[in-house]
Amino acid sequence: MSLSQPKMSVAELKERHLAATDTLNNLKQRLNHTRRSLLDTDLAGYARSQGKSPVTFGPTDLVCCRTLQGHTGKVYSLDWTSERNRIVSASQDGRLIVWNALTRQKIHAIKLPCAWVMATAFSPTGQSITCGGLDSVCSIFNLNSATDKDGNLPVSRTLCGHKGYISSCQYVPDEDTHLITGSGDQTCVLWDITTGLKTSVFGGEFQSGHTADVLSISINESNSRMFASGSCDTTARLWDTRMASRAVRTFHGHEGDVNSVKLFPDGNRFGTGSEDGTCRLFDIRTGHQLQVYCQKHSDNETPPVTSITFSISGRLLFAGYTNGDCYVWDTLLAKVVLNLGSLQDSHEGRISCLGLAADGSALCTGSWDTNLKIWAFGGHRRMI
Amino acid sequence: MATAASSSSLPSLPPPSPKSPPDLYGKRRDTARLHMLDREITFLEVELKNVEALQPASACCKEVADFVVANSDPLLPSRSKKNHRSCRFWKWLCGLPCLNLSWICCCCFCCEGFPVHLKLPSCHCCRPCSCCSCSCNCLPSINCSLPKWLCCCLCPTSSSNCCKGSNCCSFSKSSCCKWSSCCSCSRSKCCKWRRRSCFSCSCPESKCCQGSCGFGNCCILPSSCSFQCPSCPSCCSCKCSCTCSCPSCPKVHPCCCCTKSFWRSAFCCFCC
Repeated sequence: MSLSQPKMSVAELKERHLAATDTLNNLKQRLNHTRRSLLDTDLAGYARSQGKSPVTFGPTDLVCCRTLQGHTGKVYSLDWTSERNRIVSASQDGRLIVWNALTRQKIHAIKLPCAWVMATAFSPTGQSITCGGLDSVCSIFNLNSATDKDGNLPVSRTLCGHKGYISSCQYVPDEDTHLITGSGDQTCVLWDITTGLKTSVFGGEFQSGHTADVLSISINESNSRMFASGSCDTTARLWDTRMASRAVRTFHGHEGDVNSVKLFPDGNRFGTGSEDGTCRLFDIRTGHQLQVYCQKHSDNETPPVTSITFSISGRLLFAGYTNGDCYVWDTLLAKVVLNLGSLQDSHEGRISCLGLAADGSALCTGSWDTNLKIWAFGGHRRMI
Repeated sequence: MATAASSSSLPSLPPPSPKSPPDLYGKRRDTARLHMLDREITFLEVELKNVEALQPASACCKEVADFVVANSDPLLPSRSKKNHRSCRFWKWLCGLPCLNLSWICCCCFCCEGFPVHLKLPSCHCCRPCSCCSCSCNCLPSINCSLPKWLCCCLCPTSSSNCCKGSNCCSFSKSSCCKWSSCCSCSRSKCCKWRRRSCFSCSCPESKCCQGSCGFGNCCILPSSCSFQCPSCPSCCSCKCSCTCSCPSCPKVHPCCCCTKSFWRSAFCCFCC
């Protein structure tokens, strides 16, 4: 059928449309039925059958060892460098702060042209940072450039083109010249920072992509051509940067917005956190939903999940919730082994973002209480 | 004189009006959508053929479990009873009568990658290891590879005088300011970000608005204020009533904004 020669009448088009929709729904049902028959176990069932021992934390095993104070507004996003233990955080106060996470020093405090920032990320070399938000543009700052007369770091590049807010951004691993953004305009975009132009657009009006705001993206560290996205359309999608016209696979299961996605350390699975209060683990190659992580509360309410990440081995899944809880899940046995929100020095508000240090030795959480906290292994043991 | 035919005998014609152009744009759009649906159908048919050849979930679960077990994790508590040779040596050495070897007894060293402080009642505790510099104040041959998060406070005296920044203050921790300079003001007073000198804010912190509190002025807005998004300030005492109706407002807007969530049929507002 040629798009340039519409020969069918409007009535015929409508009829064809209805028939195609019916066929599509029928195929989806058959696909779901076949997929369900392949779900012979979930991860917790498998781990139990193998006699895996649960993870147990003592009272001082995971502690808050640093509190980074300085923002005067809610923290929305954070990212670690791949080395040198620096963190960049973005806040409702309209600033990015680059911290030395060990000494708590503020290395840079960048006043943003638009205060409504929602996402930030470090480049792989740590030389630049990016951020985006309600202004629908991605701003790049070179941390080595000279400040202007007001002491502010100037924007070195602006990436314009999204038709909605920027919800998430991440540099392509090992490439300071490319990054991927997720947006409220339902698309993800791969950018060439050198030219400031879009290399590829994933989704959009006439492409098979998300049908609502994209809220989160996560690039595969093992294979940087693959990335996952989560959306208000309740799905997560897997993309290949070489094929922008259609998602490689769409993952259904959540009953609410998918607020956070994160690739599993082995690069063959990814986790999601959702408005429906659950986290899920999906297999990239088969599309199977391997596990649901859901903790029922006494009042039957399940607060939405805002952000997730995995520990470096994948054994622990960290999930931040809107009620200030930060559950540490045993990924294999699907049990909550610790709640950072109940520990001493925990946050006093919603956990909005979290991230693991590159060497896996610490977790940083950001909160609406304006603080960032670093959690690490307490490490003191008595030798017998 | 001939008269014109009476106009009442002729049927009245409607006023001329141009024909509306055919809705080609809408038709093209519908055709494009149909084309997309046909393409989706093709993809799903291929996927249906391939899905039967997929491995079951149990095979994927095995891969996950094998990966997790094979990789070490610094955040996992280790209850392993393995005792490395170096640990056994230190355990033996520090089990000896201390004599004058207190500097050995209280040393930190590496065992399974984590530090262990030995507390032996017969030894006098020596100065604590300054593990921040990752060098042990004991036998120089020992590599004190501590997890860096256990670095002690940079202040030379007791940790209660340590500020959260890099400078040590003579004040108690609660008096330390958020920036690197030490202020004499207590935390309940507003210590303006980035300023080196402290001032006294006559309003409690809860009334201080972003960037507006200082020099005795409290930013107190009317009890109800009405702003259109995204111009709502982040004042903690301000209650915004949102009149935003734009569908592209994000759900996580800091103040008030309307958002569209897939499983909520109406626009909903989140207010600060």
